[in-house]
Amino acid sequence: MKLRFDSEKCTGCKSCELACSAKHEGVFNPQKARLRIIDHYTETGRETKLKSCTLCLECVEACPVEAITSNGKWLSLDDELCTGCEVCVDTCPEGVIHMKSDGLPAIPDLCQGNPYCVEWCPQKCLTVEVE
Amino acid sequence: MKSYTGKILRVDLSRGGATEENTREEWLDKYYGQKGLGIRYLLEDIDPSIAPLSPENEIILTPSIFGGTLIPNSGKLAITSKSPATGTVSDGSVGGAIGTEIKYAGYDAIIVKGKADRLVYLYITPDKTEIKDAEFLRGKGTFQSELMLKRELKDEEVKVLSIGPAGENLVKLACITSEFYRQQGRGGIGAVMGSKNLKAIAVRGGKDIAVPDMPSFLSSLREIIKESVLIPDNDFLLSDGTWPYGDWMQEGGIVPTRNFQTGISPTYEKFHSELRGKFKKSSKACIACPLACGNYIEMDGIAFEGPEYESLNMAGSNCQIPDLKAIVQLNKALDDLGLDSISTGNIIAFIMEMTERGIHDFGIRFGDTENYLKLPEKIAFRHGIGNDLAEGVRFLSEKYGGKNFAMHVKGLEIPSYDPRGAWAMGLAYATSDRGACHQRAFTPVDEVIMKTVDPYTFEGKAKLVMDLQDAQAVKFSIGICDFWGLDLDLLAKLVNMTTESNVDSDGLTKAGERIYNLGRIFNVMAGFRSKEDTLPERLFTDPLPEGPAEGKVLPRKEFEAALSEYYRLRGWNEEGIPSRQRLEEIGVDKAAIKKFDQYWNSYSA
Repeated sequence: MKLRFDSEKCTGCKSCELACSAKHEGVFNPQKARLRIIDHYTETGRETKLKSCTLCLECVEACPVEAITSNGKWLSLDDELCTGCEVCVDTCPEGVIHMKSDGLPAIPDLCQGNPYCVEWCPQKCLTVEVE
Repeated sequence: MKSYTGKILRVDLSRGGATEENTREEWLDKYYGQKGLGIRYLLEDIDPSIAPLSPENEIILTPSIFGGTLIPNSGKLAITSKSPATGTVSDGSVGGAIGTEIKYAGYDAIIVKGKADRLVYLYITPDKTEIKDAEFLRGKGTFQSELMLKRELKDEEVKVLSIGPAGENLVKLACITSEFYRQQGRGGIGAVMGSKNLKAIAVRGGKDIAVPDMPSFLSSLREIIKESVLIPDNDFLLSDGTWPYGDWMQEGGIVPTRNFQTGISPTYEKFHSELRGKFKKSSKACIACPLACGNYIEMDGIAFEGPEYESLNMAGSNCQIPDLKAIVQLNKALDDLGLDSISTGNIIAFIMEMTERGIHDFGIRFGDTENYLKLPEKIAFRHGIGNDLAEGVRFLSEKYGGKNFAMHVKGLEIPSYDPRGAWAMGLAYATSDRGACHQRAFTPVDEVIMKTVDPYTFEGKAKLVMDLQDAQAVKFSIGICDFWGLDLDLLAKLVNMTTESNVDSDGLTKAGERIYNLGRIFNVMAGFRSKEDTLPERLFTDPLPEGPAEGKVLPRKEFEAALSEYYRLRGWNEEGIPSRQRLEEIGVDKAAIKKFDQYWNSYSA
């Protein structure tokens, strides 16, 4: 299970990022979102891309205390095991793990199967892909 | 918890430093953010009679009070200053995400004054503000400036406002650009930045924006978006952006063509259909906007966002350019050079008519695409005739003649709506706080699109214009983009959801009147009187030759009577000056009234 992204339909409104931080952190702050939309102009034209968990599991492997696990659909964090070492933040190739104010990392967990970002996408360019 | 940050940032470029201070909280409930707060700070800080390009003038950046939240269409940033084009107060807004980034950086407003001793840019983060060397950007267009700053700061998501060569060279139609194609277009505020040696402002946030009760906020908002934003009436914005406005204006016969010599464009529908059918690739939104009015196109190797209705027509039929690709090329050049496409189109059309009438030979006639494409660079760099064009259409008509058909009000070029087929628009242009602007009271909705009122009468129009101005003033102060046509009841609900206040639509209407009067106070103190609240002669004397408005002119006597009625409704005297009593009634703050009194006493003495 992962996010499917239609870059041609995406308008770059970033409602997904704002919804993510609102739901998980209770505030609006795109830097606290667990996914990121890049939508900008370059020398050659428009570039639109999504950065989100691809289930590459690099963070799972890198975590020294095995606090991050995958159920094959999304990631989970064991708060008790996590030492807040930030290795996962540095490892994530998509750059979508960040540290929360409580000292724990915000792990992309697809809202346990009902991603809030998908609910808020006005253009329906973010959807959930079930494999 | 409120969505305000409680802090403003002041930057003094002469001194070379930045300081934080508390937001004047007593002003927030009266004037909100964006337009209202911007004008209030400007009125407080500067003498309205100063020269717009002097170091004393300020540039005030004010986000929406909803900025940073998921409230739709709250992503824009207002930029307020004294305009070098008009000498009036001027607030305009720019889209993209720079407005919300300022909130995430922790500020309700950023106020810049002074003049740097070299070309600089500001780099603003929650921790500090740096004034950094920008010599490496000198002469660069806004596209390169933004890309180079992202590289320099090693941050592809930093938000940037920049000026192109036009702003650096103090061109009076210079705009301020963000994300390549988002412009604070009108009034030459880019030149104010240039006069301060300020090439760009880069902002990177990181702070939270909170609302009183997030779960109920989100569920109410979901409902509001479903009921009032993502509705069939708004679908055209996603599919076509602003292009349909041109089709609607054609139906009213008010699409300026050949410098306002007729109101029917021979090319508009064709261009619209080609753009939509052949060239549009995708839609682009500002942050938190579900409507996405930006049209991203690719045409013969040109990647571009636009052209919007205004640009497509003012730089299109108004100059009688038959070639869509040339219009796109011109528009892209204007965005990069940092020039307002409305004013540029208006000015080029004027010199074309001047040449054709034999009044002065500017070497360009209607439809001359080749020479037309050479002009943006000449204007931006003030090369040759560009040096005069850079001063605007009023200046040109004073120097070379043609005043009767120099289509401006108070020095701001008229945009793409001909008032002869929508008479209230004439009154709206004449009484707009920043010269000929269509967004202070957009009467073609009532007169042309919905046809709820007769377009060819001034009966009832003074009231219509005043009501629209007040409603727009409060909407643009709270900070909702024009394209979400929400009513004031819903706007009040959003304010209450976000700021723990208890306001209703009557309260907002009154706030709108208060804010509109604040702008008038500034302009009166800058020397404006009723004689400036007028229109170009052509609109009174030259009947439209074809279309639904064929034969129509604005009858001068009726216009003047409507203007008097408008003043009376506003509680302004025959000179257009607000009365102290009315200002008190509508709750303008005491300090502002006192400032106005002091001016008045010294003026009378």
